[in-house]
Amino acid sequence: MSMEEVEEAREEGSHGSMFEGGVEVRVLVVDDSPVDRRVVEGLLKRSGAMFQVIAVDSGKRAMEVLGLTEGKEAEQPTVDDPKIDIILTDYCMPEMTGYDLLKAVKEQSSQKPIPVIIMSSENEPQRISRCRAIGAEDYLLKPLQTNDVLRLRDYVRPKALSPKTGTKRKIAIEMMAENSGSERRPCLAGLAVA
Amino acid sequence: MSLMALREQLNGLVNSMFLEGLLDDQFEQLQMLQDESSPGFIAELITLFCGDSERILAELTKLLDQAVVDYQKVDAFVHQLKGSSSSVGAQHVKLACVQFRQFCEEHNKEGLKGIYFFRCLRALNVVKHEYYLLRGKFDTMLQLEQRIQAYESKQQI
Repeated sequence: MSMEEVEEAREEGSHGSMFEGGVEVRVLVVDDSPVDRRVVEGLLKRSGAMFQVIAVDSGKRAMEVLGLTEGKEAEQPTVDDPKIDIILTDYCMPEMTGYDLLKAVKEQSSQKPIPVIIMSSENEPQRISRCRAIGAEDYLLKPLQTNDVLRLRDYVRPKALSPKTGTKRKIAIEMMAENSGSERRPCLAGLAVA
Repeated sequence: MSLMALREQLNGLVNSMFLEGLLDDQFEQLQMLQDESSPGFIAELITLFCGDSERILAELTKLLDQAVVDYQKVDAFVHQLKGSSSSVGAQHVKLACVQFRQFCEEHNKEGLKGIYFFRCLRALNVVKHEYYLLRGKFDTMLQLEQRIQAYESKQQI
């Protein structure tokens, strides 16, 4: 595909074309760093119109968005009509860490709790293991890049996403990832380290 | 100065920042996120980074000025700055923070506390030096971008 065709496909995406089914994926980004929040938001929005981003600066605010308070479950059912489709949270935050938030989300009695992805600048096997042990879907190393954002699609519940396959837009997104020019750390999903 | 000359000056500045190691691949990634739907993305990010960094540097200065230094808090702030500098591709600032954290971790060595305190002070000065060097160049970058945008707006009228 030529660069002109990639640019055309990107323009198509940036003008808000939806995936088939017209459903956006609502991502809750939780990070106490304003810089990191903006970077992640930029990555999500740039990858196409499929992500609607809600960014908060603490675990406590995330709990409010999710309708969770300490010791209580969500008042609204999380399976039938979730406000949030996926949570992307930093690990290291003051007061309520990403781990605490992960635990609170997974402790909901809902059969299908919201997928939670942890972000961290530290590549610590024990930390990764702890998070996966209580249900984190993935653990991404910061700084996040385009490839990481594309992987989020894998964790979104099927009803929220009905992607077209083999479209110019999908190729454009993946071309951007390939052209990013940086090597990515290996995927840590499924890695259980003692 | 013509529009072309301004663009050349801006490109030259950014390229030199990459060559000097002030910026790394991560900044290049972020540049790719800026487009017509998000034209001020880089400027916004730089502004956020600078504001956040100066807040952290002020806190670190205060902490190291205390009679009894809370190295845990110092480390936490340096960790924050390391994270945000990594996220924007500010390579030299990031590396200075890595060095600083190493001194924070070593501060408790018996008989050497005084030495590590001064090393931490020196490390903070290195971080400040790297940050302000970068900020100067970011300021020039943003000024050039604003001039280019003003030029382009005039041309459209």
